[in-house]
Amino acid sequence: MINLNRRTLLKTLGSGLLLQQLPGFFRLAEAATGSDYRALVCIFLYGGNDSNNTIIPNDSSGYGKYSAVRGDSTAGNGALGIPRSQLLGLAPATGSAAFGLHPDLSDLQGIWNAGQLGVVFNTGTLVQPLSKSQYLANAAPAPANLFSHADQQGQWQSAVSRGVSRSGWGGRISDALGRVNGNLPALLSLAGTAPFNAGETSSPLVLPVTGSFGLASFGGSAANSVAAAYNSLLTSSESQLLTVAAQGVTREAVAASAALNPILTGTSSVDALFSTTGNPLAQQLLRVAKLIANRSSLGSTRQVFFVSLGGFDTHTDQINRQSSLYKQLGPAMKSFNDAMQQLGTAAQVTSFTLSDFTRTLKPASGGGSDHAWGGHHFVMGGAVKGQQFYGAFPDLTLAGPDDVSDEGRWLPTSSVSQYGATLARWLGVSEGQLGTVFPGLANFSSSNLGFMNA
Amino acid sequence: MSAIRLFAQTALFAFTLAACGGGGGGATPAPVPGPTPPPAVVKTSVAEAARFLDQASFGASPSSLATVQSRTLAETLDAEFAKPASLYSGFVFEDANSNTLCPATGAPAHCFRDHYTLFHLQPQFFARALTGDDQLRQRVAFALSQIMVISGTDIRQPYAMAAFQNILASDAFGNFRTLLGDVTLNPAMGDYLDMVNNDKPNPTRGTTPNENYAREILQLFSIGLVQLNPDGTAKLDGNGQALASYSQDTVEGFAHAFTGWTYAARPGATSKWINPRNYEGQMVPFDAHHDMVAKTLLNGTQLPANQSAATDLNQALDVIFQHPNVGPFIGKQLIQFLVTSNPSPAYVARVTAAFNDNGSGVRGDLKAVVKAILLDDEARGETKAASDYGRLREPVMVLTALLRGAGGSTNSDGYYLEAVANALAQPAYTAPSVFNFYAPSTPLPGSSSLVAPALGIIDGTTAIARANVISKLLAGAIPPDSTVTAATGTAVDSGRFVSVAADATALVALINSSYFHNAMSSGLQTTLTQTVNGIADNATRARAALYLALASPEFAVQK
Repeated sequence: MINLNRRTLLKTLGSGLLLQQLPGFFRLAEAATGSDYRALVCIFLYGGNDSNNTIIPNDSSGYGKYSAVRGDSTAGNGALGIPRSQLLGLAPATGSAAFGLHPDLSDLQGIWNAGQLGVVFNTGTLVQPLSKSQYLANAAPAPANLFSHADQQGQWQSAVSRGVSRSGWGGRISDALGRVNGNLPALLSLAGTAPFNAGETSSPLVLPVTGSFGLASFGGSAANSVAAAYNSLLTSSESQLLTVAAQGVTREAVAASAALNPILTGTSSVDALFSTTGNPLAQQLLRVAKLIANRSSLGSTRQVFFVSLGGFDTHTDQINRQSSLYKQLGPAMKSFNDAMQQLGTAAQVTSFTLSDFTRTLKPASGGGSDHAWGGHHFVMGGAVKGQQFYGAFPDLTLAGPDDVSDEGRWLPTSSVSQYGATLARWLGVSEGQLGTVFPGLANFSSSNLGFMNA
Repeated sequence: MSAIRLFAQTALFAFTLAACGGGGGGATPAPVPGPTPPPAVVKTSVAEAARFLDQASFGASPSSLATVQSRTLAETLDAEFAKPASLYSGFVFEDANSNTLCPATGAPAHCFRDHYTLFHLQPQFFARALTGDDQLRQRVAFALSQIMVISGTDIRQPYAMAAFQNILASDAFGNFRTLLGDVTLNPAMGDYLDMVNNDKPNPTRGTTPNENYAREILQLFSIGLVQLNPDGTAKLDGNGQALASYSQDTVEGFAHAFTGWTYAARPGATSKWINPRNYEGQMVPFDAHHDMVAKTLLNGTQLPANQSAATDLNQALDVIFQHPNVGPFIGKQLIQFLVTSNPSPAYVARVTAAFNDNGSGVRGDLKAVVKAILLDDEARGETKAASDYGRLREPVMVLTALLRGAGGSTNSDGYYLEAVANALAQPAYTAPSVFNFYAPSTPLPGSSSLVAPALGIIDGTTAIARANVISKLLAGAIPPDSTVTAATGTAVDSGRFVSVAADATALVALINSSYFHNAMSSGLQTTLTQTVNGIADNATRARAALYLALASPEFAVQK
């Protein structure tokens, strides 16, 4: 059983802090030029992306298994299968694995071909390695509340699949890094609050996707005294716990807004790369790019960003809805990747996807699919060992060796903890801290899925 | 009737908050400066009455405060229970295809906005929250709308959302089983969670029944994921793990039981399997598309084979309704929406007991539940000192409390409030998903066990936006939206505060009794007094004090 013990966590983090403040001290000179900089960008696909239609087998045997269940969506009878002729080929740099990409993700095909995109197969929430027979016999710990949106989102974001977690792995990375970004916390969200963002000792900062960020002036001759009075309300000693929470959130935001507002609302050299109309993910990633562009002036050295795109809960009309979403996802990721090239930070910034779960391979009534388990994910950036597949692709046979039901729910072969630890290590979380950020990591034989360069 | 015409009608009565508060009603008095005098007979203290109105209405208005003081709280509850629901009306059927009503060329300006978004419905929500006489019913209905969620993200036709919200308001003081049935057969819910047109298994196509509604009615609308004790705590297994309420097999059992329903046919049309989208009335059964096999439901309960869609549905809902989790699961959430985020287990258990038996042997009587919640010792009293007591005000409640508390000739057509509620991450009836705007389990940072649900939408962005919205509301009238026929805008009348503003102590005292049930901290009082004393002009004194008080972290908490 994994249960986050806050006191143990604080202790571990406390001892880790000294170790990493020292190199941080020597990094100051590099920070001034922005050369010592790394960032993770978490792209959460809310609702449960059907990755069975993101990455599709493109050999006759594999595609045959896929189409036997999914049929042909162009027949117009509620089938979900993408015709093989429409698949965008993903040729790996080495090996002969044959997979195809959803036809609306052509932007990602280019990034793949440029060696900056990797695909991690069948990753999901796990307490420990689990076999199908163990799962069916309830003979080993499995994640609590599988197939529930809120719970599986929470577990993807906390990397804790059994027991209570009150923080997320993004927030705990921030805890581990400490205050290494001038006056800003390590975790900046452009997608509101989320379990991923909350630390045990650090708090994230949520920034607006549009518009300005700062207190409006009261106006007139009383403006200064009212501002001072409001500031005193944000710093007064409070005992009511909910008041303390509201006060802290407001105080941190007001304090950060003076430096951030000009960056968020100003023009930037990367603006032209983004087409934000009708694309909320592109809006968020544009602001992330602007913050990265200004890393030197902000004193940022290690950051974690949280962005999201919603609408993936495609119980019905999946073909059209997923198509529409991918026409946002692909261009947004490409714009961001282009921006990192332009800023010269491609090798310093790694983006990756998370989602509640993938969906049943077997279609449900209404042209959609239901909640399932392990799914495929993208990792993008110059430090990714791109143009490669990682992990094991599931056997797409209903009730087959990888299906824990008879509707196509894949038992994950890689865990959220392993996936996250691979990213966090690259960012700079020490080996000693990884077990704190990912409390169940030791249950798995490897803490590195191998998709990142050092 | 088009939404625009409907709006024009409703906007004709520019309302007066002082006249139409919780217990008030009747003629519109002229704005009266200064505090509303207490009623001749005081049965409930002003502090207790104001606290009660924070929990049981959209904020204390001068007139509702006077009314509640004149009665016992039990009398107030009986009066509120007796009030008819102020339902949405005039939002009628419109073709689901926006191209029919709003063609690409030739459509009136704002056609899509007016007919295929909730743009004209959300202001009506605020109208009810601000001036509706059935305050308690509307408050409970708003809580229910955040438990049994459908969202304007998907249900965009105003008549569809209006009909669904009318169910919640109508059933708010009825029986929970009625509510569950009405919600289940509502076509907007059917569309939102895919129960409509949910077909029996189709071996040719290789499809199974859609599991969406089956899963969410169990997880969110009734019993929740884990088995509960009557006090709301989880039942644990030998390893200390919470016991699941149901399995994937249970979800599939309900999914099969819920097959065979489609939209009702439009008047004059022949009903067929898969009728065109129609959000009026209830969904209708087609037994030919209902799976006739036996189904296994909760705790091994069986539905026998060959039952009709309607029989299966009713029996399936009965099984859910009888589950021992419903009382603590729904009761605790209602406590969290009305009173406090972290109720004691004993408080939850008392509310569960009222759910299980209203005193006359009836299970599921929501009047009894609401009464148990609001009259409980843990809800009552003039102040609560515990550091973990209370709840963060939802953004919508901050807005309504500000306007209702101002009194005088304060008025709003709701359009500005609609826009800013969106900026504050709580657009009415438009949660991001069926999981509402925030999770009931949202942790309170720094605590190992406490929750703060609304903290899910109170973050750096919305905290700053909230202070700015409060500032703007107090700074002068918000002009009417020029694109809306007969719009009146929003204006906060702070006259009764300005009239006492020459005396800083009196001003702070009036804010304290109007918004803080006389429990404002001495620190906040001092800050307000000192600031006011540095300002000469009375209007500015009042505005500064109201801004600082209402934007303060202290006011962020209802306690």
